[in-house]
Amino acid sequence: MEVRVPQLGEGVDSGTVVNILVKVGDAVKKNQTLIELESGKAVAPIPSSGDGAIQALHIKQGDKVSVGQLIATLSSSGSAPAAQPQVAATAPVAAQNVAAPQPSFIPAPVIPSAGAYQYQSQSGSPPPASPSVRAMARDLGIDLGRVRGTESGGRIGLADVRNYIMQIQAMAFSAASAAALPAVQSSMKIDPSIDFSQWGPVTKKPLTALRRTIAKRMHESWSAIPHVTQFDEADVTIISQLRKKYASDYEKKGVNLTLTAIILKAVTAALKKHPVINSSLDLEKDELVLKDYIHLGVAVDTDQGLIVPVIRNADQMSILELAAAIGQVAEKTRQRKISGEDLKGGTFTISNLGGIGGGHFTPIVNKPEVAILGIGRGVSKPVVREGKIEVRQLMPVCVSYDHRVIDGADGARFTRSFIEALEKISDADIRLGSAAKPQPPVKTAAKKLVKKAGKK
Amino acid sequence: MKKIEADIVVLGAGPGGYAAAFYAATKGRQVLMIEKDDRLGGVCLNRGCIPSKALLHATALLSEAKESSHWGIDFGAPKINLEKMRAWKESILSKLSEGIRGLAKRRQVEVIKGRGHFEGNNVLRLETAEGQKFIHYKKVIIAVGSSPALPAVFDLGNKRIMTSTEALELEEIPETLLVVGGGYIGMELGTVYSELGSKVTVVEALDSILAGADADLARPVQEYAKKNFKEVRVKAKVVKMSTQGKQIKVQMEYEGKKLEEFYDRVLVSVGRVPNTEDLGLKSTNVQLDPKGFIKVNSMQQTDDMDILAIGDVVGGLMLAHKASKEARIAVDRICGGHSVFEDVVIPAVVFTNPEVAWCGLTEAEARKRNIPVDVVKFPWAASGRAMTLDRTDGLTKLIVEPGTERILGVGMVGVGAGDMIAEGVVAVEMAATARDLAECVHPHPTLSETLQEAAEMFYGHSSHAYSRPREHVEHSA
Repeated sequence: MEVRVPQLGEGVDSGTVVNILVKVGDAVKKNQTLIELESGKAVAPIPSSGDGAIQALHIKQGDKVSVGQLIATLSSSGSAPAAQPQVAATAPVAAQNVAAPQPSFIPAPVIPSAGAYQYQSQSGSPPPASPSVRAMARDLGIDLGRVRGTESGGRIGLADVRNYIMQIQAMAFSAASAAALPAVQSSMKIDPSIDFSQWGPVTKKPLTALRRTIAKRMHESWSAIPHVTQFDEADVTIISQLRKKYASDYEKKGVNLTLTAIILKAVTAALKKHPVINSSLDLEKDELVLKDYIHLGVAVDTDQGLIVPVIRNADQMSILELAAAIGQVAEKTRQRKISGEDLKGGTFTISNLGGIGGGHFTPIVNKPEVAILGIGRGVSKPVVREGKIEVRQLMPVCVSYDHRVIDGADGARFTRSFIEALEKISDADIRLGSAAKPQPPVKTAAKKLVKKAGKK
Repeated sequence: MKKIEADIVVLGAGPGGYAAAFYAATKGRQVLMIEKDDRLGGVCLNRGCIPSKALLHATALLSEAKESSHWGIDFGAPKINLEKMRAWKESILSKLSEGIRGLAKRRQVEVIKGRGHFEGNNVLRLETAEGQKFIHYKKVIIAVGSSPALPAVFDLGNKRIMTSTEALELEEIPETLLVVGGGYIGMELGTVYSELGSKVTVVEALDSILAGADADLARPVQEYAKKNFKEVRVKAKVVKMSTQGKQIKVQMEYEGKKLEEFYDRVLVSVGRVPNTEDLGLKSTNVQLDPKGFIKVNSMQQTDDMDILAIGDVVGGLMLAHKASKEARIAVDRICGGHSVFEDVVIPAVVFTNPEVAWCGLTEAEARKRNIPVDVVKFPWAASGRAMTLDRTDGLTKLIVEPGTERILGVGMVGVGAGDMIAEGVVAVEMAATARDLAECVHPHPTLSETLQEAAEMFYGHSSHAYSRPREHVEHSA
């Protein structure tokens, strides 16, 4: 009978022999470990595929072996005939062992021995151990009946307890890794380094701290949140006209009347109608945290990468104030003068890529928020209105949301509310100088709220 | 009326109570110890172990002096001054009791004299000489002990009918003494009075004296009693007692006959009862068993969250050293420790002449429970030291688990057995094997060698006693 290297697991086709546990002439049983193979970070025991005596070993320590390679020849003890089918039968076991990598420092052969042992005394006496060892076991919550004593008369010494603890720790670790590691690994595993220069010249740049943070945050958000993105279009024909009309008035105040400011205004109105969009999910406490304030994050494109400063109490601001605030924070952000505080506490984020171009896209929710609004470039399109074809300016609207918190219907409703609020923006909303809102009191109120929020 | 706040209250200052109080104080707790008697130390120190051992030691000299004549030493007839003997005994008791008081002081354990009574809601009412005090406690350890049982039929209000308490007072040396109950208290005190000159008759309802001890260990004590007591009657029952002038008329049934006899004094030693009455335990959640002992778990906790109990009051072996062990467990429990009263080896010692001592599994128990054991016995007749002491009436035996050769129990009878059993306790607690004991060099010539030789007998190579060599797989070690 021949024992060959079984399938070692996905993507693993070879390994190094780190340990040979048998020698020629040894009688072995089926599933007894013959050799230990190290592949990648794992050490896998390779079991015998049948009963018999070792006639020849075809490998030696340090050998690199690959799947299917002959390990040993067994003298058949009259049992099943040789080879392939049988290797295949044991292969899944071995593959499992490899697939669940164990740290190589665990002495593999001791692992199975810890679980099974149970002390039995024909006189019904408790396991033999000194009072100090018993007290320690009690403190540690260890059942001495499961500890194999190696001292005179099977007495359990300190060394036996230590050994036992190491074994159960190894067992717990390997069991946990078998269950938990695949999941953890798939998400946390670092891709193996590939040498790209083999296909042409490359330039290597170390990642900036900001890039690392972005990468981490994006990965967290993407892997933790089940995303749904709702697409729609908003008619911004009138808004464009109003912007042109009042741009110079705003400019006189040193403020750039951006589309983003108007979008923010509409977003606050929609959020007020749909508080669930302005929330966070706390799974640990099984709570949905609905926020009574609206702090809007605005994605800002900087030389270094994406930064999202927060404009607090955006719902209490006029379009002029919003426009001024956006101008300020965007500038501060680009100069990297924004403080860490100003990046925290957002309840909803707007990412307007319209200035750059492009249509619909799927923004990633900015955790711990539950939704984000993406805006594409508005373009003139023929639209049928009341039976007539008209040219209107349509702006792509994309709302990504956390489907754990927000159902599809709610997501669509919010999107509609936002578009309606945006399309309802009127001359009066943008026009300056109208004694529309008594600004100062609101501002102080807003300031107070900012302070409060800051404390949190 | 005074209100006192207390962290831990220990009720009773016996070997359980003071051990608990001191240990808790060592662990940094504020401790209040309450004792109803003037003297600290409880029964053990005042009405039990200590006075009885003092009297046994004093009277043993009488018997040794008698025996010494054939060693060539004659003292002549001894003169006994009871008053002096009592005073000497008292001096030990007061020394020990004051010692405990001093230790309490140094450990900052407050001691209050009074009787405690539970009022419920973690309040203990204290009856003291200065009136009532109310203690609000966080935890209480009940260690109020036990008292000698005096069945109502024997309780005639006649001081000639004594319990161990009165017998230890040693008011007089009665010419005739009836000891009702052949347990260790009856046998020890019977020995004291017999050595002092009383004609002692022991009556035991069971079929042997010293119930609990293996028959072979009790035999030398029986031999002693046969020689020195007037009579030992087993399977005998005292039916009635009545006062008859300066004597007690006793009616009993023995060997199918009804006897009527007169004794100058009677010692009733038929057991002990827990002091659980008059504690007001009904106002707590503490539960009692049908015999009145407080029910506790292996951590000495009662059914009341804040009340623990230790010592005689929880039953089991009513021995001082058991109480002290339980004291540590109770305090550990209060302080958040993990100790439990499980698999604890409690040695038993009977201070008769000779002494009987054992620990762990007894041979009788092994037979009763059908536990397969190997028993090796080393007779003291083979001990040089025993011969030099002229006390070859001894035996050392090991109860060994076959296969593992683990020592499960040790039993001894002979002079000084009570002190030597300590080695047996260490062996059993440490799960030592017979080989471990055999490999340990014991000093020659001492009685302690009998332990080593017993272990060597297990392997058939004791120097001084022949035993058939065992078929035995040699240890590689």
